[in-house]
Amino acid sequence: MATEAAPMDEKAKRMRDLLSSFYAPDPSISTSGSSISASFDNINSTSFDADQYMDLMIKKSNLEVLLQRHVQMAAEIKNLDTDLQMLVYENYNKFISATDTIKRMKSNIFGMEGNMDQLLHKIMSVQSRSDGVNTSLFEKREHIEKLHRTRNLLRKVQFIYDLPARLQKCIKSETYGDAVRFYIGAMPILKVYGDTSFQDCRRASEEAIEIIIKNLQTKLFSDSESIQARAEAAVLLKQLDVPVDSLKDKLLEKLEQSLDGLQIKPEEASLLAEHNDSSNDAESNEQLPAKIHEDAVRGFSEAMRAYREIFPDSEERLFKLAKALTAMHFENLELYIRKRVSAADFLRIFRIIWEDVILMDEVLPEAELSDLSAEAAQVTVKKFVARTFSHLQQDISDTILKFDINQKEAVEEEVLKVVLEASKKAGIQGTTDIFQDFRQLLDENIGIFVKMKDLIIGWIQNGFQDFFRSLEAQFLALSGKTSSSKDIEGGLVEGKSSDKIHAGLILVLAQLSVFVEQKVIPRVSEEIAASFSGGNSQAFENGPAFIPGELCRVFHAASEKLLQHYIDTRTQKISVLLRKRFKTPNWVKHKEPREVHMYVDMFLHELEEVGKEVKQVLPQGTFRKHKRTDSNGSNTTTSSRSNTLHNDKMTRSNSQRARSQLFETHLAKLFKQKVEIFTKVEFTQESVVTTTVKLCLKSLQEYVRLQTFNRSGFQQIQLDIQFLKAPLKETVEDEAAIDFLLDEVIVAASERCLDVIPLEPPILDKLIQAKLAKSKEHNNNNNNTVSS
Amino acid sequence: MQGGSSGIGYGLKYQARCISDVKADKDHTSFLTGTLSLKEENEVHLLRLSSGGSELLCEGLFSHPNEIWDLASCPFDQRIFSTVFSTGDSFGAAVWQIPEPYGQSNSSTLECVASLDAHVGKINCVLWCPSGKSDKLISMDEQNFVLWSLDSSKKSAEVLSKESAGMRHSLSGGAWNPHDLNSVAATSESSIQFWDLRTMKKVNSIERAHVRNVDYNLKREHILVSADDESGIHIWDLRKAKVPVQELPGHTHWTWAVRCNPEYEELILSVGTDSAVNLWFASASSERKASESPVEASRLRVNPLLNSYTDYEDSVYGLAWSSREPWIFASLSYDGRVVIESVKPFLPRR
Repeated sequence: MATEAAPMDEKAKRMRDLLSSFYAPDPSISTSGSSISASFDNINSTSFDADQYMDLMIKKSNLEVLLQRHVQMAAEIKNLDTDLQMLVYENYNKFISATDTIKRMKSNIFGMEGNMDQLLHKIMSVQSRSDGVNTSLFEKREHIEKLHRTRNLLRKVQFIYDLPARLQKCIKSETYGDAVRFYIGAMPILKVYGDTSFQDCRRASEEAIEIIIKNLQTKLFSDSESIQARAEAAVLLKQLDVPVDSLKDKLLEKLEQSLDGLQIKPEEASLLAEHNDSSNDAESNEQLPAKIHEDAVRGFSEAMRAYREIFPDSEERLFKLAKALTAMHFENLELYIRKRVSAADFLRIFRIIWEDVILMDEVLPEAELSDLSAEAAQVTVKKFVARTFSHLQQDISDTILKFDINQKEAVEEEVLKVVLEASKKAGIQGTTDIFQDFRQLLDENIGIFVKMKDLIIGWIQNGFQDFFRSLEAQFLALSGKTSSSKDIEGGLVEGKSSDKIHAGLILVLAQLSVFVEQKVIPRVSEEIAASFSGGNSQAFENGPAFIPGELCRVFHAASEKLLQHYIDTRTQKISVLLRKRFKTPNWVKHKEPREVHMYVDMFLHELEEVGKEVKQVLPQGTFRKHKRTDSNGSNTTTSSRSNTLHNDKMTRSNSQRARSQLFETHLAKLFKQKVEIFTKVEFTQESVVTTTVKLCLKSLQEYVRLQTFNRSGFQQIQLDIQFLKAPLKETVEDEAAIDFLLDEVIVAASERCLDVIPLEPPILDKLIQAKLAKSKEHNNNNNNTVSS
Repeated sequence: MQGGSSGIGYGLKYQARCISDVKADKDHTSFLTGTLSLKEENEVHLLRLSSGGSELLCEGLFSHPNEIWDLASCPFDQRIFSTVFSTGDSFGAAVWQIPEPYGQSNSSTLECVASLDAHVGKINCVLWCPSGKSDKLISMDEQNFVLWSLDSSKKSAEVLSKESAGMRHSLSGGAWNPHDLNSVAATSESSIQFWDLRTMKKVNSIERAHVRNVDYNLKREHILVSADDESGIHIWDLRKAKVPVQELPGHTHWTWAVRCNPEYEELILSVGTDSAVNLWFASASSERKASESPVEASRLRVNPLLNSYTDYEDSVYGLAWSSREPWIFASLSYDGRVVIESVKPFLPRR
């Protein structure tokens, strides 16, 4: 095999090189590969060394494998040989066919040049002939062109000469569009030759055009024309270079001016409303203002619609106008409701405004008028609600303050009663009216109101809440009790005037608070539950809505406070009286008592006043009193007398005994049930009077305790108290307490007396009788003077 | 709100109006009280709260020549006190010293340190300088007030200055400003007057009729509490004295006296002729926000009355906080009953 391989070696190597140089993608690799790495077993590598390979083979493999390898290799070599032969053959074939083709080409190209020359010649002759024709026809063609141009010119001239007439015709037939088209067509010529040849013509047509412009303008301004026509007119005018903008401005200004006419001035508003009222009787008589207004607004909106179409670029301005009108409407409405306005009137005006808004909104939906006006409407309605409440409050306080009460009237004539009744009525009537008004608001079915329903309910509830609160505050302020809550507006001023306010009025306020608590608030809450519920969800976000329970509590507290204040002011007055009585004289050097001191009269007089005031305002107590006054009157006096007799017996002898008496009274006090002097005041005539008396007697006792008396001073006190007993018991419900207090005064005086020797009962009696007779006489005198 | 019988009682023999805390006694909670009896021999009782706080013991009993209308303990010497007394038709004021071994309970006589005899009319009260060291005294009658300098060792009192408030204002009492020792508040018929002691001039006044008693808040400057017959208790900020800062309803009848707690600035006690002692919580400060809405304000109108002690038989005139144990107060009703109560359950949490 080695011998066979050797001759093959040269040839094979060459072949392989060729093939690989032909097929190898990169010959450099193959060369470099041969030089560097020589893998012996890779038969395909360039550096393959057959001898080494053989050696390796022989060394590595056994015979069988070698044989196999030999067979395989021989087959491979045969294959390679056939492949090679095929390749050579194919290449050879191609070469032969190429040679054939070249041979054919050479024979075909022969004789082509002669044909080419012939063709050139023919083309030359065609060209020369066409040139001849051209030159012969040139003159004629030029002539024709000239003629044509002249004709066109003539036609134009004709058109221009005809222009005025044509324009006139157009004016006559009002086909301004054509006229404008004609005129614009003629414009360039007229511009160039207008000063020379076509002077007349130009003038005439300009005149005509002017007429047209004028006509167009009138058309534009005339409201009777259809919008389409007016829009066209505007377009034409624009084409004629007439300054349309100024026209637009003028038109819009006119529109703006017309706004003033559309205003609903507050004065007129009432007129509007009134007229609507009376419209039922006198409908046909005249154009109603409301109707007139509606027409005006309709016109306005029509105009807006027109302008919008005519001047599409003027929307902004129209928006502004529409907004201005809406704003103005609501401003005026606000001004209007500043006065007292019923809900019906308010609604009527509101409806008119709303209609206007809707009209305008139709025309200018982009202006978002409805949003704007919805906001404004909310504000206005809210204000209206608030104002209604403040009016109500004003009403009530006016009713209270209307009566110029002076002391005498308050007692003599039943002014307090009148005031109370009037203000009660004002309260009830006011709330009823207010409910009616609000119900109207709610029943209103203008879109916006339906939307605002919940809000309105919330406002109303809130309104009531605030109303009652401020009413309470006002009551307190009126009574002059609010020195600490001066954050209430004008509290200081009220406080100053509080001196002037009559005490009776405080009583009225107290009773009124009770009335509000028991009657008005339940009623209001009922009403709210009946027809104003549902708004809660919104209202709660803004704050507490109407909470009747809380208000009741507030008014309850207020009524008690006011009643207490009444009693305070009353007792204060008496207290001043007593203070003067006890501060002025020197009790240690007091002279023997001659008569009952006159402060007792004043005291009783004050009490009488209290009684009269109370009788006017407060209800009578439910129990006993009535039967008692007459039948028991004598009884009590006798019993009291026996009491004093008893006392007298004890205290008769001397000061030593007086001390023991003091001790005894102390003892008695221990065993006596502790008399509740300061009980809760009730809203009855008796309770108030009793409380007043109790407080005064307590003050009397305290004043006595602050003094030191000599015997006569003590006797004077004894006499005064003795005198007081009968009339006090007559007026007062709780006799035991009064007895106790009167005794206390005596005890206090005896304790503070240096030399306790009470007056003898006969003297006491005599002095009292004298006093009674005197006062009777005095009364008679008074009556006489009154009757005469 | 019943007062109950939690208080510790002590009975005087006679009627009495005045009780005073013995401020200088640092070791015990003691009170001095004096009787008001026209015909009997009057007594001054020195009362001491036992260490357990469960008993009120009489530490000393001294006879006093006349009925006592006002009594004030000296702030620096526990043995010294002042009284205003009446003999029936005339008034006097004096400074007394408790005799040395005062532990014995039998009646002994008081030593008169000085007689404050510069007055003619009805003397209302004697005020000790609240600084606790100064030996200054003020005595007040209906028209005049006199500033004294007391020398207890020499047993004399010297008139430093005297000023007449004028006939029209009949003074009824007063309080010495603990924050400004030159300022004294005096109550008169129609107003509360503020006097500067350096110039002896009236510097300011609050127009308010029939004020019966005033007291300075010891903790907070410029705050004055007044009690009057009709309208209860008012709290004033002296910097803006036009309107009261707060109003408390007071008592059913006259509010006789008010006392601010020496430690807890919000606590105010008042006594009244309705036989009750009321404990108030007056958080009201001058800084109360004006922005409060009426709603909020009404919510804040919680009852300021913490407690009403009603276990008295007669009008209560005497009232004193203990400065040693500021949650304890002593009250004295006209029938001579001293009641010591503790306000501990009502102390504000701090």
